[in-house]
Amino acid sequence: MSETTPKSVDNIITTRDLTKHYVMGAETVKALNGVDVEIERNEYVAIMGPSGSGKSTLMNLIGCLDTPTSGEYVLNGQPVQGLDDDELARIRNREIGFVFQTFNLLPRATALHNVELPLIYAGVSSKERQKRAAGALERVALGDRMDHKPNELSGGQRQRVAIARALVNEPSILLADEPTGNLDSHTSAEIMQVFHDLHGAGQTVIMVTHEYDIAANAGRVITLVDGKISSHDAKLPTEVGSHAF
Amino acid sequence: MRFWEGIRMALQQIRAQKLKSFFSLLGVIIGITFLIAVITIVEGMNSYVRDDFAGSLFGVNTFTVVQRQQIQTGRADEERRRRQARNPQLDLDDVAVVRAAAPDAKFFAYSADRGLSDVRYGSESRRNIRVIGGSEEYQLVQGWKVEEGRGLTALDEQRALPVAVIGSEIAEKLFPTTSPLGKRIRTGGYRFRVIGVLEKQGGFVGNVRDASILIPFSTYDATLSQRREGIEEINVKVETEAALEPAIARVEEALRRDRGLRPAEENDFWIQTSNDLLSAWNTINTILLAAIPGLVSISLVVGGIVIMNIMLLSVSDRTREIGLRKSLGAKRKDILFQFLTEASTLSIVGSAIGIAIGLGLARLVEELSPLPATVSLPWLLVALTMGLGVGVLSGIYPAYRASKLDPIEALRFE
Repeated sequence: MSETTPKSVDNIITTRDLTKHYVMGAETVKALNGVDVEIERNEYVAIMGPSGSGKSTLMNLIGCLDTPTSGEYVLNGQPVQGLDDDELARIRNREIGFVFQTFNLLPRATALHNVELPLIYAGVSSKERQKRAAGALERVALGDRMDHKPNELSGGQRQRVAIARALVNEPSILLADEPTGNLDSHTSAEIMQVFHDLHGAGQTVIMVTHEYDIAANAGRVITLVDGKISSHDAKLPTEVGSHAF
Repeated sequence: MRFWEGIRMALQQIRAQKLKSFFSLLGVIIGITFLIAVITIVEGMNSYVRDDFAGSLFGVNTFTVVQRQQIQTGRADEERRRRQARNPQLDLDDVAVVRAAAPDAKFFAYSADRGLSDVRYGSESRRNIRVIGGSEEYQLVQGWKVEEGRGLTALDEQRALPVAVIGSEIAEKLFPTTSPLGKRIRTGGYRFRVIGVLEKQGGFVGNVRDASILIPFSTYDATLSQRREGIEEINVKVETEAALEPAIARVEEALRRDRGLRPAEENDFWIQTSNDLLSAWNTINTILLAAIPGLVSISLVVGGIVIMNIMLLSVSDRTREIGLRKSLGAKRKDILFQFLTEASTLSIVGSAIGIAIGLGLARLVEELSPLPATVSLPWLLVALTMGLGVGVLSGIYPAYRASKLDPIEALRFE
């Protein structure tokens, strides 16, 4: 793999010919078919594509939740294809901050404890965890909601807790999967503002979405069709919602 | 992941689903309750037998010469039992031999008795009492104290006076309102004047003393005895425990010589000490203490299967949570540990509840019956360890299943 080490040291993500095939019975589904992606440090990138285009598969591979059938993936200077489960878990813990469409907060835990979770798996001491989790919650303007449980928070607040959780371990990339899919437009704008501010503070943000007006917040849009990249820098129409996938 | 974090999460889970947790723990609770209740009673009897019973039945530093062995330990030996049945009856000659062989005895007594007698005074009567004809030091050998009146004296013995010292239960039954002293009671067709009442012994085997009537041996021999000069027991009490073995050896040798036994021949008498009873009890005790955990294990296995099922349900209920934890960096062993800790915490909580109920139950039995109860710390640890074992064993499979979940599938799970 040394001959394909990324040329640019500024790339936080480099993939070469990334391929993912699923065998379903006698059929082989080519979910991802030779994808080359380069994302620089501190970029704000949206990944778009119709359903079945492979954007979820790409997100799972970028998020180290899955391993490619073939091809290479270098994350923050480290090749990650072919790592075992525990090494992938470690990378997810240190390098990636996930934000999900459905927030995925532990319902019985307080906001603070939810944000502490990644630090538990990083082996951080309890005192340090609380300090850092509180700091992350303050970054998303929830410093006064730390002891609230998810059902005592609004949708936007829940997603902000999830963002704090994603940020708490200072990951290389913030990886958001349809982060506004369960939110109204007003709250969506609020979350987009949070992403905008984080990006402004130097955070690399990758966001998977199928909504144009959400993708429009990103600096660059990568469009996938049929498991291949159709565009590395989509020209987004200025009028919202004119194009539907 | 930190140990306490795992336990904290497990307790949170139990609190969140109290009723479900309780039912899933029922098997373990019942098993441990049974274990603790029975062990507590058995240990209670144990310390009672060791500390009080053996001493009160045989006296401390005391040995007793009898015709044949009364307490068998281990497997019954028929042949030996038949042989011993042919041993000669003890008599006053034997008493003289034993007395001569134990000049350093602190107390010396001989006695005969009959059980299952009735005693009457006026219209009151008491059944199933024991009448003991004892020489004057009998009370002293047995360590019996007189509560009221006086005990037997050498004069009573010499003159074969029709006097009696009665047990507290008999006194209560026959003389509920008046003092028994000086009253004449009837038993076996003879009248005896009550001269004293024995101190109440009470407890588990209190009736040995409390339902007995003690009269002078000479009186007994002249009245109630069916075999003249027949002696049931010769008791010797020595000053110290160290003096016991040498005294026994001397008495044994003297009796063998008196009866002309050759070296190869077995004793045609039996010398018993409180050790006989203790070893009999220890045999029973060993069997009990080995059998009970075995019986308890059966209910713990059932309890474990229930916990395993609940944990499997819990794993499937929390598939998304597991996916989330994995996406946040939980390794396989973190998830494995989480669910193992949860199952173990669950069953330890069950054990703790079982221990509490078991101790309560034992306490109740102690209050309502003469059975004593003693809490034994090692057994509490055994109970907790068994609980932990059940938790770990029943948690392994569900925890393994959880740890094997694919994070993508788990996150997508509805």
